[in-house]
Amino acid sequence: MSHKPNLHLRDRARKAIKDEPMRKAVQKAVDRLSGNREKAQTELPNWDDWREQGKRIRKHTVDHLDYYLGQLSESVRNKGGHIHFAQTAEEARRVIIDICKKNNGKLVAKSKSMVTEEIHLNPALEKEGMEVIETDLAEYILQLAGETPSHIIVPAIHKNRYQIAELFSKVAGKTIEPDTPALTAFARQTLRQKFMQADIGITGCNFAIADTGAISLVTNEGNARLTASLPKVLISVMGMERVLPTFDDLEVILSLLPRHATGQKLTSYISVVNAPRKVNEKDGAEEFHLVIVDNGRSRLLADEEFRQALHCTRCGACFNVCPVYRQIGGHAYGSVYGGPIGAVITPFLEDDFDFWGELSYATTLCAACSSVCSVKIPLHDLLIKIRRKRIELGFTHPLERVGFNMWRRFFKFPGRYKFAMKMASIGQIPLVKDGYIRSGPPPLSGWTDSRYLPAAAKKTFREIWQEKYE
Amino acid sequence: MQGSEQSFLSHIAKILGRDKPLTSAPNRDEVGPPVFWKEQKFDINQPLAFFKTNLENLTGKVYLAKDDQDASQQIRIWLEELEAKRVIMWDHEELRKIVHLEDANVQLDYWSQGRPQAELIIAAEKADVGITWADYAIGYTGTLALFSSPTQGRSVSSLPTVHIAVFRKENLVPTMSTVMENLMERRSTQNVPAAIDFITGPSRTSDIEMDLSIGVHGPVKVWTIVIEQGGNVQYQNGMREEVPMEKDEVLYT
Repeated sequence: MSHKPNLHLRDRARKAIKDEPMRKAVQKAVDRLSGNREKAQTELPNWDDWREQGKRIRKHTVDHLDYYLGQLSESVRNKGGHIHFAQTAEEARRVIIDICKKNNGKLVAKSKSMVTEEIHLNPALEKEGMEVIETDLAEYILQLAGETPSHIIVPAIHKNRYQIAELFSKVAGKTIEPDTPALTAFARQTLRQKFMQADIGITGCNFAIADTGAISLVTNEGNARLTASLPKVLISVMGMERVLPTFDDLEVILSLLPRHATGQKLTSYISVVNAPRKVNEKDGAEEFHLVIVDNGRSRLLADEEFRQALHCTRCGACFNVCPVYRQIGGHAYGSVYGGPIGAVITPFLEDDFDFWGELSYATTLCAACSSVCSVKIPLHDLLIKIRRKRIELGFTHPLERVGFNMWRRFFKFPGRYKFAMKMASIGQIPLVKDGYIRSGPPPLSGWTDSRYLPAAAKKTFREIWQEKYE
Repeated sequence: MQGSEQSFLSHIAKILGRDKPLTSAPNRDEVGPPVFWKEQKFDINQPLAFFKTNLENLTGKVYLAKDDQDASQQIRIWLEELEAKRVIMWDHEELRKIVHLEDANVQLDYWSQGRPQAELIIAAEKADVGITWADYAIGYTGTLALFSSPTQGRSVSSLPTVHIAVFRKENLVPTMSTVMENLMERRSTQNVPAAIDFITGPSRTSDIEMDLSIGVHGPVKVWTIVIEQGGNVQYQNGMREEVPMEKDEVLYT
């Protein structure tokens, strides 16, 4: 099942740029999150050592993924849990639907999980006649609006309180005031009832601990805690790379993830769920299923340059510093994972460098993403490499190829280059005003439509050099 | 599922350049936190000072009780302040010693083994206050660590409107490392709890316009009582004998 947008990146971005309220909201959010991260950075000693350690741990785990997944599987089974491996999104959906059906599931409470977005689980469960309720406040808002997340940490930042009040009022059948406490109170009340009734809980998994078979859930609201402790059956869905060897390693990731995501020392809740419940325990799931999903990740694993993208902790720090994300928001990416990390992994996950490889142009290559990454993934470098791959695969525009071929022919030889610059400075004369070219015919318009092009100087650097120093 | 697991792992092994999935633990140079973190020493009073500052920054309260009696009194004061009608509490030996509400106008439920599940969960849901005994408290982040068990239900700290956690000063540790060490020890004896909950302040969200809002799912308030008196004070010939302590600092590993 492919969920490809109808528009190309350029048109999606154009559309987003016109959405002024969304852009304002995004800018406010990323400034706040980045500011908080910078503050946290000054409070934790040897910040960079932690990042380096996080990187080492993630690299070691991903490099030995076969071992750690095998160990995880054994640990889960040893304590009476069930483990499932799904190569594709379809397999994952089928496994989850089967578990729900076997348990006669009618109401599914879900806490935030990007993998379940990735495998489009909700519509599949609804098609089977189940009610699915997202319990993370932002995800609940998006579910009511029929929209997808636009930020990995704060998924509904593009929605304002008036839009949210309207959605909630429709559910309530009465007016809910558009202020935060009233909206939050309504969500608490409504979702609490759902929690009490739900027979299946579905969570994601921030990181699983291989040697124990426990999973960790990082939230501020506490909805994942309730999802994992109230329904009789718990299904946790994880991307296959989301595993750590031991609790020791979890401490490192927990020191990095919240601080990079929101600047918090720790989120309000870190729930380590070592399901199923023990004998005589009166809450916690009685039945536990861990679903491990590949869905294109092995293509990243197979590429030695890109394997490191699997080290990601999903902290979202790269979103918050990206000048492109700041302007276009998450939806313009069109993919489940947006921002710099999304631009890197999506072509692999979707196995499509033609359409999804376009995302590698949603960057200024300023490297801000790499400089804040919690586990030091060189994201900007990988983005250039995706561009290179697209060229090798022949996905770039024919005109671009012709253009760069011409450029090469002139650039290679000083004589030709000199000649070309001379021609340019003569050719530009009708277009130049006050030292800039403000508009021009295609392909020049590709540049001048959105900014001025500085005119070629009257004298070239070489000419000045010759006059002065030779 | 056995077949699909095997082919899944074999596929990964092949990609990583192995004939078949690795079954013995790979060598590791680096495990867990950076060396400086593991080797740092803390002043004996540092964890409490940190815990207080951190939790108070998150709207939490920290009451320092001299002894059990002081703690007992403070709980009554807080319940009155909160106008609590229903309270649910872990069936914990220490809490049974400290919490006495017989003459107060409060309905107290214990999360005890004998009671049916549905009854307990409804009691927790209806409770104004849930009282737990924290297994650990972490100074560096202002965090409570709660381990689940038949008498230590998770719902007691997640469903009521207010969560009050009580613990002794000796359960306060400087960083999460001590808790993780404990979990790794428990792992070797197959004794890891079914749930380990790290709780740092009240339930919160910034999902609506980045506007901070408290109590979206879990408790609105997280209040704590730290009892300075040790739990393992030994009495000899009727004389109280303090457990000997390092002079300025103590090394936690």
